[in-house]
Amino acid sequence: MMLFSEARGLPVLTLTEAEEVGALKSLTVDAVSGVVTHVRVRGHHSRKETVLAWGALHAIGPDAVLVRTTAEPAEVPPHHELPGLRILTETGEALGTVQDVAFEPGTGRVEAVVTAHGDLPADRLLGLGDYALVVRAA
Amino acid sequence: MNELLAARSLTTLPVVTLGGDAVAQIKDTVFDAAAGRITGFTLSGRGLLSGPLKQSLPWSAVHALGPYAVMVRDALALEDTSAVVARREAQRGRVLHAKVLTDEGAEVGTVLDVIVESGTSGRVVGFRIAAGKALVQGSRRRRHRVYVPRGETVAVSGRALVIPADATRFVADDLPAFVARVGAFRAGREGTAP
Repeated sequence: MMLFSEARGLPVLTLTEAEEVGALKSLTVDAVSGVVTHVRVRGHHSRKETVLAWGALHAIGPDAVLVRTTAEPAEVPPHHELPGLRILTETGEALGTVQDVAFEPGTGRVEAVVTAHGDLPADRLLGLGDYALVVRAA
Repeated sequence: MNELLAARSLTTLPVVTLGGDAVAQIKDTVFDAAAGRITGFTLSGRGLLSGPLKQSLPWSAVHALGPYAVMVRDALALEDTSAVVARREAQRGRVLHAKVLTDEGAEVGTVLDVIVESGTSGRVVGFRIAAGKALVQGSRRRRHRVYVPRGETVAVSGRALVIPADATRFVADDLPAFVARVGAFRAGREGTAP
């Protein structure tokens, strides 16, 4: 298990050339299926942001991320930054904000959303948009 | 029992889809002619400079009403305003500033706000009123604002609202106390029913 806060900032290297592409900036989550679908990488010098599909990653380790290819996927879904986003239940109650996200680095499966009121299991996630993360009422 | 909300406090509440996007915010709450239920909401755009929207939100499209947001399934829930608010209907359902009379003919005050239940019912449970002398004894200079439960039988016109006389025995000074009174009022009514 790994946290978004631990993954952020890790150096991203290509598997074949060991060339450093940049640093991991953020992870894009699909709330309906509960998996990380894309990662965003910021270049060291160019400051250009590259989007990589989860399938392009070889491994996320404790010290680095290894990628097979740096080719951008054809279709990139809108990115909603999870940490800091407000959480609403489907009944319109507020549950604070997202503090961190725990995920499985092998599969990209989201395990829990960490909030000030405790952890929310991934099966409670309903939708993720520009305003809020919507979860099932307990 | 669901949480109680004042209808005026719903204004500026965001309308959020289950997908997490805010599509509009509440401008006004529209009640049915008997002021017993919410029939829908008129909307304005989100943000400081956006004006009223042409679209409105019918109650049938509301997934749930909460204290922090009105949840809808998706943005397709919004409809043309004319479908939600037939103009005459809205006029008749207007209860703010209406006189409150008991069915015994005593005037108890004027309506300041409408109290609705959160969740999926959209039911009006009571009114916040500026109490007249008949209802609350005490200093004439102090203006009392109290909550009265809505009876099951109530008549409403644009000018006045008639509540059962026994509802005035269940007034409360604040919303938390009112929650308990509404429960007691309902229990009492069910107990006396044949």
